Amino acid sequence: MPPAPAPPAAVPPASARPATAAIELRGLTKDFPVGLRGVKLRAVDNLTLDVPAGQVFGLLGPNGSGKSTTIKVILGLLEPTLGTCRVFGVPSGQVASRRNVGYLPESPYFYRYLSGEELVRFYARVCGVPRARLAARVGEVIEWVGLTGAAGRRVGTYSKGMLQRIGLAQALVHDPRLIILDEPTAGVDPVGSAEISAMILRLKAEGKTVLITSHLLAQIEDVCDRIAILDRGRLILAGTVAELVGRRDRQALLVETLPEAELAELRAWLAARGRTLEAVEQPRTRLDQLFLREIARSEGQREGRS
Amino acid sequence: MSAPDQRVPFSYARLALIAGNTFLEAVRQKLFNLMLLLAVGLVASVQAFRAFNFGSSELKFIFDYGLGALVFFGSALTVTATAQLFFSEIESRTALTLLAKPVWRTEFIFGKLLGVWAVVGVFCALVTGLLIGLIAYREHALMAANPEMFTGAGRPVPYGDIVIVGVLQWLKFGVLAAATLLIASFSNTNLYTVIVGFFVLVICHLQYIAVEAYAHLTSLPLRVLVATLSHVFPNFQVFNLAEQIGPDSGVDGLVALRVAAYALTYIFVLGGLAVYSFRQREI
Ligand SMILES: Nc1ncnc2c1ncn2[C@@H]1O[C@H](COP(=O)(O)OP(=O)(O)OP(=O)(O)O)[C@@H](O)[C@H]1O
Ligand SMILES: [Mg+2]
Repeated sequence: MPPAPAPPAAVPPASARPATAAIELRGLTKDFPVGLRGVKLRAVDNLTLDVPAGQVFGLLGPNGSGKSTTIKVILGLLEPTLGTCRVFGVPSGQVASRRNVGYLPESPYFYRYLSGEELVRFYARVCGVPRARLAARVGEVIEWVGLTGAAGRRVGTYSKGMLQRIGLAQALVHDPRLIILDEPTAGVDPVGSAEISAMILRLKAEGKTVLITSHLLAQIEDVCDRIAILDRGRLILAGTVAELVGRRDRQALLVETLPEAELAELRAWLAARGRTLEAVEQPRTRLDQLFLREIARSEGQREGRS
Repeated sequence: MSAPDQRVPFSYARLALIAGNTFLEAVRQKLFNLMLLLAVGLVASVQAFRAFNFGSSELKFIFDYGLGALVFFGSALTVTATAQLFFSEIESRTALTLLAKPVWRTEFIFGKLLGVWAVVGVFCALVTGLLIGLIAYREHALMAANPEMFTGAGRPVPYGDIVIVGVLQWLKFGVLAAATLLIASFSNTNLYTVIVGFFVLVICHLQYIAVEAYAHLTSLPLRVLVATLSHVFPNFQVFNLAEQIGPDSGVDGLVALRVAAYALTYIFVLGGLAVYSFRQREI
């Protein structure tokens, strides 16, 4: 049973409880009717989860495990079959719960007939960004996502990655406290992916909460404080990234390549202290790092020429 | 921080924004180009009939012809545009992004309704304006050709009444748009909505026949049933005040006002039902 919500009077002031949950899911279950005879598909199964405020939270799982469904329930787009969901303490069925939330849907698709700038401005006005700050704010977020050059073009002409970027701009334009990104890097090039990672970390530094789903586990590992893994709608693992993947009993040392003799000396030195050298590996540049470096160099050359 | 008093009040500004965006979609989909084409077709076809020279009854003919075009194309436009502008949001999943913002579903539905109604309003204004222009042009020409036909009564064409007829048709289309939106709010496809929308249109136009035919019924349950149905479906015949236009009579202003109130009532009730049904919908 979900616990009864505490009466408002008993809630201490915000400063006294730094670790309020931005999202609280209690026994969340979502069934979809599929087939003719009332057959139900359980997309999310009794999910209890807290997304703490101010953290980056990764929701992981294979295709069809219920990540997007969970997000839609959080946004009030779907009604839970069982259980409750609160966003900053407000039940997600209420319009007020969406006040401080920015959302990038998976494979986003926007009003094709608007230009990128008109689109972001429309959403900004819907979210009540004051008119005085509207133009500046719209320009700012479009610049963040690197679309300044294409802002005047129709959204219908955008490439997949550009749609993701404009989607990110509309999610951020009203400066929300909680940002929900459903596969923000799908279809985005590695440069864009790295930029999105950097943006997520910057949002975190500003004290925002980010909920992200992605199949790029390396990226999740880099940016997330906590993760939860779903499988067929069930929570199978949750915890901080450090505690789940960190190994406190091992260290890796990086040195210039040693000649064989010196390596033997090192082994002897360690053996004298009752320790062993477990592995000697040739580190390789990760492909994404190589890609980023080469692209940066090529762009630099082009700017130098022009 | 998590202040429970952070309410989001219903906002006419957001409603207007959604309506404006819907209107813009119609504009950028070149819907108005199509209307312009229709209007040109109207003028050209009236010009073709001129060869017959109907005398002063020619003016009445132009009026009836134009009104017929307004009713026919306006109805088709209302049903299809409402369904299309609603389902473009659902099918391209833009409703997902919009409703994930602090937006009331009431604002969404009435925003859509207002946007469509504005589009249809432009169409009505265009056709009515064109009709008045055509009639005035022919009236002028006929007066010059045989002035003896026009003695006595002065200007025989009641232009004000034509405008009223145009406005009443627009109100009727508002009711039709609200009914179509109600159908769209629970149906899954655009096509289904359009087909059911046209059925409703026909029922609304013809229901008065059923009501008259069953007026003499003695069985109380049947009478109640017919009366109920005649209220569920608005009677589109009441918008047809064109017969009242003539040299001696004119459109009764009070009747026109009552018809307008009738239309607005239906628009709000049907719109409210659409909101109710849309609230249950999973996006
Ligand atoms: N509207 C719907 N009607 C019926 N079934 C649905 C609906 N939406 C989702 N489902 C089902 O619910 C399950 C979970 O889907 P969901 O989109 O949440 O998966 P996901 O974890 O986001 O997957 P992916 O990684 O592919 O995005 C799937 O089996 C899907 O078929
Ligand atoms: Mg998904």
